[in-house]
Amino acid sequence: MGIVIEFKDVSYSYPLTKEPSIKNLNCKLEKGKFYGVIGKNGSGKTTLCTLIRGFAPSFYQGVLEGQVLIEGKPTVDHGPGELSLKIGYVFQNPFNQISGVKETVFEEVAFGLENFGVPVDEIERRVIEVMELTKISHIAEKNPFELSGGQQQRVALASIIVLKPDILVIDEPTSQLDPEGTESVFEIIDALKREKKTIILVEHKIDLIAEYADDVMVLDNGEMIRFGPKQAILSDMSLLEHGIQLPQMAILGNELVKQGVKLDYIPITEKQAKEVIGRTLRKESV
Amino acid sequence: MWREKLSIKKDNAIAALYPSAKFLIVCLYSFCSLIIGTIKIEGYPFFLIPWFLIVPILCAASGVWKNFIKAFNKVLFIAVIIFVVQSLFVPSETIIWQIGFIKVYEAGLQSAIVLSFSIMNIAGMFIWMFQTTENKEISRALEDSGMNYKVAYVFISTLQMIEVLGKSSKTIMNAQQARGVETEGNIFIRSKAFFPSMVPLILGAITNTEERVLTLESKGFDVKCKKTHLFEIEKSGKEKLAAVIAILITTLVIIGRVLAWVL
Repeated sequence: MGIVIEFKDVSYSYPLTKEPSIKNLNCKLEKGKFYGVIGKNGSGKTTLCTLIRGFAPSFYQGVLEGQVLIEGKPTVDHGPGELSLKIGYVFQNPFNQISGVKETVFEEVAFGLENFGVPVDEIERRVIEVMELTKISHIAEKNPFELSGGQQQRVALASIIVLKPDILVIDEPTSQLDPEGTESVFEIIDALKREKKTIILVEHKIDLIAEYADDVMVLDNGEMIRFGPKQAILSDMSLLEHGIQLPQMAILGNELVKQGVKLDYIPITEKQAKEVIGRTLRKESV
Repeated sequence: MWREKLSIKKDNAIAALYPSAKFLIVCLYSFCSLIIGTIKIEGYPFFLIPWFLIVPILCAASGVWKNFIKAFNKVLFIAVIIFVVQSLFVPSETIIWQIGFIKVYEAGLQSAIVLSFSIMNIAGMFIWMFQTTENKEISRALEDSGMNYKVAYVFISTLQMIEVLGKSSKTIMNAQQARGVETEGNIFIRSKAFFPSMVPLILGAITNTEERVLTLESKGFDVKCKKTHLFEIEKSGKEKLAAVIAILITTLVIIGRVLAWVL
């Protein structure tokens, strides 16, 4: 698969700070893959997202060393609006993502398309399509400010998805949501994954990363300490030393191995655990 | 289909006037109110009182009587306070009425009528305009008039944010109450709780601005191109007639003012 995002020796410091928030980052992200970004608070996850979207340094200012390339072109060389169509960005707080000038969910979702001058008929068609995907058709006529957090986050996702970006950067979308809201947001992200969008998701809920992501990037104090397929990374107990949580199933698997149980591999999801532990138990009973 | 759903259909001819026509009426009415306030009979601006009747009549004719009453209550409260304060505390030689130490002075009463009725006239007319016009109509009309879409955005988002900040303020007050801060009681207790709650409210609004700006950029707000509008606003066709009537009344008021000087 082609490379859509590339970090070339990237270091970035916010204004008035001595220590860079991202240090010597080198990596390539492939098209159509789902990347989970994990790390402690202050490890540079959000900064990484803002670098991809080009908000840093264009909005935040600060010092950027190296290059962040989107489809081979540095983010700083992209014209205004160009990155909005290529990269969709969803923030943590659903409330702040409401434009504040639209009185219905339908208009809120259509807001971005209006800004890009998309013809009205096409706006209607695309908004209806996205509202069905994000399951917000039943609240289309409600005021966005009167929705629950989960509904607002789905509206925020719909408002970005409707622009049809190839890359989606999603920064802790479920941090303020209840389990039901979290599940509904992940259902949408899963649907986008099936559409072969490149997804970069920052998330603390590690079990969800284990279930949905393809690859995982681990950040610690601005440095990338692991990057690659999720199976190897999320079963690595040494990450606990960096203050990074591991999936419950990975901890269970490691503990079983320590106790002498021979597992074919360390599971990181519930499905894998059922499969690998079941297989081991069957072998032992034979 | 959705375009039709989003459009606003009004059966009432006055309420259906284009926002700029309503704004012209508000401006001319306010101007007339100020002029009428200067026409005095024995020092009293009595004409301001019947002139005010136009506001409730217009609201009733526009079909927004109930909403007008609801919104006008607050204006009336302020106007009454101003009326009482001016009547009692602007002194002059002539005392019209006295009970014990409470005295109503002539100059105070004259000033009270001018101030309180001018406020009621002008605020009442703005209430009429906002009760008969939705925010998105104003926003669309502003853009149609050539105003930069960013200015129109600021105007409309400010109107929406007033309500949102009101709700946030209640949440903060409830949180203060949960921590044992007294928020109910007389005006002193309420103000003691109110001012500290303003700090998190304002700071929160400022910090949220950054994310809101980036969200707008993510949605291509800053892109230089011809914007599409899902919501179209139509003229009712009675705008010219309304403008002619408003200008005619204003002319009559000016003539009346001049005649009052001459005669």
